[in-house]
Amino acid sequence: MKIDDPLLLSLVGLVFIFIFVSLRLLAVVKRRNQKIQELQALLQNLNASFDHLDQQAKLIVKTDLELTKTQEQLDRRLDGLDTLQKASRLISTTLDEKEMFRRLEESLTVDTGFEKNLILIYDKNHELKNTVRRGFPDNNLADILSYFKKDLDLLTALRQGQSFSSINSPETTKIFLQKLLKVQPFILTPILKQDGLAGILCVGNESPSNPLTEGDEELVSILSSQIGQALENSRLFEEIFHSRQELELKVQERTKQLTAALEKVQNVSKMKSEFISAVSHELRTPLTSVKGYASLLMTGKLGKIPQEVKERLEKINYHSDNLVKMINDLLDIARIESGRTEMAFDKCDIQNIIETVSDLLTLQIKEKNIEWISKIDDNIPKFLADRNQIERVFINLAGNAIKFTPVKGKITLTIGLKMKSELSLPVTMSRSSLKDFEKMILVEIIDTGIGIADKDIPHLFDEFYRVDNEINQVVKGTGLGLSLVRKIIEAHHGQIWVTSQVNKGSCFHFILPIQ
Amino acid sequence: MGTHIGIGFSQDLDAEIAAKKAALQAKTQLSRNKAHFTLLLTTIHYDPQAILPTIREILDESQIIGCSTGGLILSEKIQMRGILLLSISSDEISVGTAYMSDLVEHHETETGINFAKMSLNNFGNQRRDAFLFFVDNQLRTNTFFLRGLQQTLGNMFPLVGGTSCDDFRFTNNFQIYEKNILKNSAVGVLLGGKMGVAVSSRHGWRPLGKPRFIDKASGNIIHAIDGQPAANLYREYFDKSMDEIYTGKLSPLTILYPLGIPIEDKKEYLLRNVIDILPDGSIICQGDVSEGAEVHIMIGNKESCRQAAMEAAQEVHHTLLGKKAKLIIIIESLARLKLLGRMAYQEIAEIKKILGPDVPLIGMYSHGEFCPVQSRNQFKKTYYQNGSIVITAIR
Repeated sequence: MKIDDPLLLSLVGLVFIFIFVSLRLLAVVKRRNQKIQELQALLQNLNASFDHLDQQAKLIVKTDLELTKTQEQLDRRLDGLDTLQKASRLISTTLDEKEMFRRLEESLTVDTGFEKNLILIYDKNHELKNTVRRGFPDNNLADILSYFKKDLDLLTALRQGQSFSSINSPETTKIFLQKLLKVQPFILTPILKQDGLAGILCVGNESPSNPLTEGDEELVSILSSQIGQALENSRLFEEIFHSRQELELKVQERTKQLTAALEKVQNVSKMKSEFISAVSHELRTPLTSVKGYASLLMTGKLGKIPQEVKERLEKINYHSDNLVKMINDLLDIARIESGRTEMAFDKCDIQNIIETVSDLLTLQIKEKNIEWISKIDDNIPKFLADRNQIERVFINLAGNAIKFTPVKGKITLTIGLKMKSELSLPVTMSRSSLKDFEKMILVEIIDTGIGIADKDIPHLFDEFYRVDNEINQVVKGTGLGLSLVRKIIEAHHGQIWVTSQVNKGSCFHFILPIQ
Repeated sequence: MGTHIGIGFSQDLDAEIAAKKAALQAKTQLSRNKAHFTLLLTTIHYDPQAILPTIREILDESQIIGCSTGGLILSEKIQMRGILLLSISSDEISVGTAYMSDLVEHHETETGINFAKMSLNNFGNQRRDAFLFFVDNQLRTNTFFLRGLQQTLGNMFPLVGGTSCDDFRFTNNFQIYEKNILKNSAVGVLLGGKMGVAVSSRHGWRPLGKPRFIDKASGNIIHAIDGQPAANLYREYFDKSMDEIYTGKLSPLTILYPLGIPIEDKKEYLLRNVIDILPDGSIICQGDVSEGAEVHIMIGNKESCRQAAMEAAQEVHHTLLGKKAKLIIIIESLARLKLLGRMAYQEIAEIKKILGPDVPLIGMYSHGEFCPVQSRNQFKKTYYQNGSIVITAIR
């Protein structure tokens, strides 16, 4: 068959083209399908990767949640510790209860962040009173107080140290307390003292959005213990303070009484001195006349006088001399006491004074055959004193020693230099009277005389006091000598005292500060 | 005369005494008889009715705006309770205050426009630099409100603000304008004159897991994500039962793990805190979301937050061109405070290191922030954001 028909040829050509195109199309579709399959596989892989990524993300979230929770708890615990430290410092630095609760209110509100705070404390009548109240209106507080009066079970539990909170309390108790306190999260804890329940601490929030943790419970519990301790301290302090106040009042009253008595004594003493001074002055003038006239009569210028009269006149003269001496001594004591006699202070040499005194007493010493021993420290410097008055002291004391020392007895005079700290004063004397003087002259006049009985020693330096012994009964005296001696030594800021044993002897000690 | 700044703070337990102390401290620091403008930030522990008359009496003639806050940022500390006052006396800085009440009842865009117009009317013909404002956190569809502001003040005009805050309760926040204590309102101040403003914000949260897509959304409610009820996303990640999600126990967690929606070139993410979950599994966000948008669960940590704050401070420092700021105002998310915990002040310390330790600084914690978001082309358009720190420096 000859294929020359152009139409047929075209048809065949078209068929070939169709077949070719179809084959090409099939190839493209096949490649597309392959590509789609590849892309689908890729998409699946990508989705798997995303899912994988999501799984990892969920793990990350879980871990992050746990970390966040731990971190939050740690933060709260640290905040709690900060708060506790601050509150503790605030309440421990005051013993005034009112101030303590004022500080607590501030700390509870500002630092712990609780919206509602209430502290109820038992007063002296054992009634619960609010000392801190924030966020609890009057009617709510009245309900709470009335409830605590009724519910003995709750109070018993609190007394036993049991706390209640929105975390740990049984559901019924929790709901009841939430309603009573008008809070959501809350902590109710006892404030305990050694002698039992002192009060109740309650904190809470109205909104549930700020829940509590066990750390909060722990914080509030520690805080309540510290409040209990602070209350204990405060009450103890109050008791001590009141006792002290009472004591102070008593001391003040007694001091007032003593001051009044002292003033009275001083007035009497002053009046006595003034009286003595006045009387002595009044006595001295007529006495001088008596003595003058007696002396005139004795000279015989007014006519010869019989021997018997002369003897009587001598006695008048002798007793007048004694009376004059006594009046002079009295006047001196009165002057020194009243401060009218000013000491004529000048630089004195102790050696020199003792030499003068020895000269005066030599005759008496020899008459009684007394051994006189004198030990004077060469290092004693010159010191400020009224030489005449100090000589008077020595003459008086040495004279007494001679008077009371039997024949062939011994008198020892020791004079040494002492530091104030080295002195051993009798317990009745205080160092403070020695003022700020550091160096002292210590004089001791020791005799082997009849000694002085213990009962006489405290009165020895009193005016007109005379020891009742056999010598004094024979030898007359005024009882003013030692009193005058003490006045002179005290006027020199010194001290005098005596130690003695009956029948063994006496020792008169005195100190003179070196001025 | 120049510009004088006075900052006063008190946390006295008695509201009136606290107000008096803070106002007197601000006035003393100001060392001028008259404060031209005062910003009052207070935690909800203080009754505004009790504090405002005292503050107004002491800072007589000063224009006052303010709001409640979940916490206060001070130069030396962060305080969760107190009254903070910033008073400005200046012949360089001009202010124009404004307020707008009953926000929810009105058309949001229109409200935004009127709000901006009022501030412009009170401002006068000066150079405008920034608008600082505070909005009730009940205003959940704030995109339209923001659009109204931008339509009037300009799309790229620095709008900086925050929502008034009540420590995650979302019930008790308030705003202050002069002698009025407002709710469901916005208060603001237009700043300008012979001054300059540098603003920057960052959050530090990063996307986690695979991207998902919002299938259905209206306003601030996301109904479905990837064909599932929106709440399933959180159920999967937190391994919580639906009951737990419905009862709202999830909310504090979702504040730490917000949703992130990429913007611009995916360099930044808008954060949205989840504040409630509806029985049908829809989730209510703080701020609007768009249907069809990509969405991620976001995660942050202390270090990423601290780093973000430092980046924001660096950017402000860079914008100031070496000039020293006269004042720094920080508006920061309360979620960050929750995440940072005891380390929260470290962030502020880092900012002070960068911007100068002696520059007066105040700030507040909010539920949501309005701030220009950084993008590659440097155009800074203001968005509503959660979880961020907004640093505003005035020079």
